[in-house]
Amino acid sequence: MIELQDLRLSYNHHRVLDGINFKAHFYEKIAILGESGEGKTTILKLLLCLARPDGGRIIIDGRDITFLRESELLDSRKKFSIVFQDGALFDSLDVKENVAFCMREFSTLSEDEIENRTREFLRRVGIEEAIHLMPDELSGGMQRRAAIARSLAACEPEMMLYDEPTSGLDPITADNICNLINELSAGTPPGRRGLIIVTHDVEAAVRVAERFLYLKDGKIVFDGSLDALTHAGDPGLRKFIKGLLPR
Amino acid sequence: MQNFYELSQRSFLGVFRRPFYVRDIIEQMDYAGAGSFFIVFLVSLFIGMALSLQISTELSSLGLKMYTGKIVGISIIREIGPVAIALSFAGRVGSGMASEIGSMVLGHQVDMLRVFGIDPIKKLVIPRVLSSTIMLPLLTIIGDAVSLFGGYYISVFVSHQSGSFYWSQIRAIMGFQNIFSGIAKPFIFGFVIACISCYMGLATRGGARGLRQATTTAVVLSTIMIIITDFLLTRILFFVLGMQA
Repeated sequence: MIELQDLRLSYNHHRVLDGINFKAHFYEKIAILGESGEGKTTILKLLLCLARPDGGRIIIDGRDITFLRESELLDSRKKFSIVFQDGALFDSLDVKENVAFCMREFSTLSEDEIENRTREFLRRVGIEEAIHLMPDELSGGMQRRAAIARSLAACEPEMMLYDEPTSGLDPITADNICNLINELSAGTPPGRRGLIIVTHDVEAAVRVAERFLYLKDGKIVFDGSLDALTHAGDPGLRKFIKGLLPR
Repeated sequence: MQNFYELSQRSFLGVFRRPFYVRDIIEQMDYAGAGSFFIVFLVSLFIGMALSLQISTELSSLGLKMYTGKIVGISIIREIGPVAIALSFAGRVGSGMASEIGSMVLGHQVDMLRVFGIDPIKKLVIPRVLSSTIMLPLLTIIGDAVSLFGGYYISVFVSHQSGSFYWSQIRAIMGFQNIFSGIAKPFIFGFVIACISCYMGLATRGGARGLRQATTTAVVLSTIMIIITDFLLTRILFFVLGMQA
């Protein structure tokens, strides 16, 4: 169970989050919607304690992790895997070394086993042919796929976190990324199918999520299902999702 | 300041604690050491030549030209060599460290390390601190030798002095005090440059402008700290080695 209680955070005297409250189970598929700069990515960072709030509490499976030290955060971080907007691939390593990164760091697998597993993860995300390419030789879509493969190879997360996975991609590639997210989710045990996708791409959110949060002025102003989303009365939200609304 | 002190302390102590990222250390040693060889060679050669030219010109007016080798040697080994090479090193390697780590911060690569349970200080900072601390003294030894050869060239072919007398003067000043003084400084400079550069890299915020600022600050702070540390170390070494001012 994930619980955010009254989270507040400011950057350079600008209030980004102003009392975020929400609870979620690890199996839920959640989309956090909002305009750019509303603090969507910050919420993902807070879940992983990559950023610390000015106030409030982050509780993962009943444990308050808000101000734990880095060394004490390993257990809670292992429950998640994150794919950042730009992939965040290690640009000095090729795709194979990126995907194999955690296997090399934490396992005693042989070189052959690492190679086989790396190829298997890359096959799952559909870019096995890119195994020897460097990150800057990949297209935007391929970078996201490689980043997803690396996250899957790193651990068996209870929940995947996606930061703007379709941002900057053409509609077909964005569609393929959504398909991949759904395939990966469907291919994992029910308890580990959860995801949080942070996006301003409403179509992508609808494709992969079942619960929707809308951030405005640092607060969650909507939390509900797709049906509730399309019937929401908030004018800002209706404008944001106007592509979903009947004409 | 407190964060910088903490990073420096962790970098120093982390050298002796697992895990050891040997591959990263070797990679960084190659970048810092072999990669800096050419600039150190050039800087040292011309400093040695310029110094020799200046000193022999001044000494010849006093009829003391034969002491050029001695003064060039002491100046290069004890003071100018370590400082000039450290400044070149800060410009090339320090800026590289700050910009590389800074771009990793901005590209969320450092965040990914933390998510994977890898301490960025262990993985990124310690290999750089270690490589810098090892390679700068080696570069200084090479640079000092090149400077002395530059001084020799000017003394013999421009100032028309005896080459064998030049080297005998150099041999005469190669005592423990001078060599220790010239080798001890680069260890400290290497540590200071790497700590400042890595700290500025990890503190990078705010896109391309932030990266530019972090890189510039790393080089500027390193330069200032090299000069200040040099003075302090000279005072300490004079005291420790029993040398009179």
